[in-house]
Amino acid sequence: MLANIRKITIYALIAMSCFFMLSLTGCKDYTFSLGMLNPKGLVTYHERKLFFDTLALMLIVVIPVIIMSFAFVYHYQVSHKVRDYKPNWSHSYFLEVIWWTIPCVIIVVLAILTWKKTHELDPYTRLPGYQDKPPMLIQAIALPWKWLFIYPEQNIATVNFLQIPIDQQVEFWITADNVAMSAFFIPQLGSQIFAMAGMRTRLHLIAEEIGTYNGLNTQYNGAGFSDMHFTVNVVQAEEMQTWIKQVKQSALSLSDANYDNLLKPSIGDSPQYFSSVEPELFDNVIMTYMHTFSATHPRENNNAMIEKE
Amino acid sequence: MLQNLFFGKLTLDVIPFHEPILIGVMAFMAIGAIAVIAALTYYKQWTYLWNEWICTIDHKKIGIMYLILSFVMLFRGFSDAIMMRLQQAMAAGSNAGYLPPEHFDQIFTAHGVIMIFFVAMPFMFALLNMVVPLQIGCRDVAYPYLNSLSFWLTFAGAMLCNISLVVGNFARTGWLSYPPLAELYYSPDVGVDYYIWSLQVAGVGTLLAGINFIATIIKMRCKGMTLMKMPIFVWSALCAMILVALAFPILTVTLALLAFDRMFDMHFFSEFAGGNVMLYVNLIWAWGHPEVYILILPAFGVFSEVVATFSQKKLFGYTTMVWAIGIITFLSFIVWLHHFFTMGAGANVNAFFGITTMIIAIPTGVKVFNWLFTMYKGRIILSTPMLWVTAFFTTFAIGGMTGVLTAVPPIDFQVHNSLFLIAHFHNVIIGGVLFGYFAGLIYWFPKSFGFQLNEKLGIYAFIFWVVGFYIAFMPLYILGLNGFMRRVNHYSEVAYQPYFIVAAFGALLIGIGIILQVIQLFVSIKNRHALRDKTGDLWNGRTLEWSVSSPAPMYNFAVLPTVHEIDQFWADKQRHLSEGHVHPKEMHYEPIHMPRNTPAGFIIAMFAGAVGFALIWQMLIPGILAFIGMIATVIIRTFSKDIDYYIDAETVKKTELAYLRGIV
Repeated sequence: MLANIRKITIYALIAMSCFFMLSLTGCKDYTFSLGMLNPKGLVTYHERKLFFDTLALMLIVVIPVIIMSFAFVYHYQVSHKVRDYKPNWSHSYFLEVIWWTIPCVIIVVLAILTWKKTHELDPYTRLPGYQDKPPMLIQAIALPWKWLFIYPEQNIATVNFLQIPIDQQVEFWITADNVAMSAFFIPQLGSQIFAMAGMRTRLHLIAEEIGTYNGLNTQYNGAGFSDMHFTVNVVQAEEMQTWIKQVKQSALSLSDANYDNLLKPSIGDSPQYFSSVEPELFDNVIMTYMHTFSATHPRENNNAMIEKE
Repeated sequence: MLQNLFFGKLTLDVIPFHEPILIGVMAFMAIGAIAVIAALTYYKQWTYLWNEWICTIDHKKIGIMYLILSFVMLFRGFSDAIMMRLQQAMAAGSNAGYLPPEHFDQIFTAHGVIMIFFVAMPFMFALLNMVVPLQIGCRDVAYPYLNSLSFWLTFAGAMLCNISLVVGNFARTGWLSYPPLAELYYSPDVGVDYYIWSLQVAGVGTLLAGINFIATIIKMRCKGMTLMKMPIFVWSALCAMILVALAFPILTVTLALLAFDRMFDMHFFSEFAGGNVMLYVNLIWAWGHPEVYILILPAFGVFSEVVATFSQKKLFGYTTMVWAIGIITFLSFIVWLHHFFTMGAGANVNAFFGITTMIIAIPTGVKVFNWLFTMYKGRIILSTPMLWVTAFFTTFAIGGMTGVLTAVPPIDFQVHNSLFLIAHFHNVIIGGVLFGYFAGLIYWFPKSFGFQLNEKLGIYAFIFWVVGFYIAFMPLYILGLNGFMRRVNHYSEVAYQPYFIVAAFGALLIGIGIILQVIQLFVSIKNRHALRDKTGDLWNGRTLEWSVSSPAPMYNFAVLPTVHEIDQFWADKQRHLSEGHVHPKEMHYEPIHMPRNTPAGFIIAMFAGAVGFALIWQMLIPGILAFIGMIATVIIRTFSKDIDYYIDAETVKKTELAYLRGIV
């Protein structure tokens, strides 16, 4: 009875580990995916490749370990009466040198790869192959609980909607206002990076396929966290120009009063478009925090909903 | 005014009478408390409880109390887990689930805090208390009274955390309470204060326990036991406790600074007025990463003991094992930044911390190979502890692999904060830490309680746990790679709901595993006479704890042992086999010097808990009174001279002969 259960357990474990391996590497078709498995931009493409390269390197050790663990436990059971029993054998220079060396070699390879790729894909620097091409600038501000995108060169702004041209390097400047630390992320296009009030973080992306993608905040920042999504539209350059003209027609402009409205906590806002933006708004938002030295929060008067909770 | 001085912010309104679920919880807790009090009164057990448990400074009993605390809190932590899984399984598309964010956010915060601080940590200290003094051949820890204080401080911290269920509310910030979310501006209620003060009280207990065990292991080893002859579990405990002593002060200071921010309008971590949010994040992870190794190192120690015992073979590569533990201990302090590659540090910084993180995989991998080759050419007995070890290899290999994946900064830019990360750390904390602790608990249970746990139910529980674990967490890996984040209350992509439902089903299976463990415990207690460990050496052990009776006598060793080699007891047994006798019958016994029980630890900790509660609600006068009470108890205890006594030689002899007669 007990022996049977043990056997079943072991087989179940083997089956499950196989299932896990298969579920990661088996299926080639990732088109259903909203995440890194289905890249639509240069950065995510490289990150996915790096993911599977690292996985393969690790499996060199992990697969033998798993096989050995089951093989040894199964083979050397007392009931199998294996003759070869060496109760005092506990040391072998040869074996120990092998299993210090192999992981070391793998980690050295991985470390070199990591160093190279971390520098190539550093969110703060221009992307490989696009070093000398000036990026398009977009300023993103995390607000409670929505995203504001300012296109400073075009002098327009949007809420919870981002449109970018295909094959164009985009540089994001990111900060937060009146909301706790957040993180800006478009999984299929590139990396994620924190958004913090009083600080500016940066991120470079290139979209390589036309389509609509999901953008979101990944860092828990309060009650509206789960709905802090935005739509990302990747379009041809010409269409981008038409869209900018359209937004320019919008009746709304991002005046100080309208910005104060955005500072009020709200959940699940639909997209908004602003035909013009107060100059230097992004810088001013950061400086508001850097230059407040009183005890009260600079947005004390804008947190109506937080008070209510 | 006077009311304010006495009660601070505490009013009747803070008790959530309007929440039916919480009222249910309160009623349940009240009924439980009344039942326990009634039973204690009816069976006249109050003095027994007070003398034998609350006042005890015996490390074996303190270990058992840590164990009980850990299991009680496991129920709460696991209820939180089930509620979260259920919510996420339901809340797809237009369905908002059954938990609004203000509940859900408290639940995931409480789940993390409870599982790490009040389940894993007490479980680890339970094993350390149950085993370390016996393994190094001494009669108690270095500071027995401090040991009692440490436990009761942990207990007080846990109770503060539990009180938040019915008085006020718990934090809604995530288990590490990052500012600025944890600042007064974003979290004006007492939730974060409960978080701060329950961890402060428990954290001081942990720090004291850490120092206690370092002193014990350095100074109290029996004759002949040099550092390189200590059992590996003791080595892992020593390194974990060094980490405690180095890391927990960071936690204490960090939380104190956060408390200053909240209470006195200071600006250490605020977004403005010169505060720096990332300072907190750096500090908390400078504690938080070593904390992970504080948990896993003793589990590694357990695996080393269990593998050697049940393979009936010497542990492979003892020296390498010690070095591997040492390297891990050192490296665990220079990897903390990998928890926030996404903060926007430069590529050099990120690459450096990514690579140091990967390097930890080398000594860890070496340990795994050493365990594997301990089994190689052994004679493996597949008892339940060994089953847990078997499951550990695969689970931990997968968890380690995903860990290295997340250590590569560009990959982390994709999986940070995602469910992939959640799956990874549950993979190592359940598959590594918890499986190890379960193996250790079943292995050493007879040494603490005198009887074995029921094997059959243990195997059933094991199957449900392991299968449940895979079913609960493998879908999370897939979800993470598909862009799903942690702490999400609801989501719009209905196509992914099946993964969440599968994960919830897995959690349910783990729940059955836990229930089976409870049944196992009750069945074993009922059949304790049949399951009794008469020899004190149930598993054919290798180290000193198996050389005494089960449960060990209160003085542990009638005669302090002398050690010449690593597995001394195993060698002794081999020698005795050839010489034809197991234990010497005629021995010369001497009176044994023992520390006397004291209620001081309990009283100080209860005052500390009261201080914590007063600080949470800003109750000035009660806070000051409790603080004075705490300090006064420390001083009174310091002047107490009645702190020790002798067990006379005749009693020792009687106890020992009774045990030896039992064996024959």
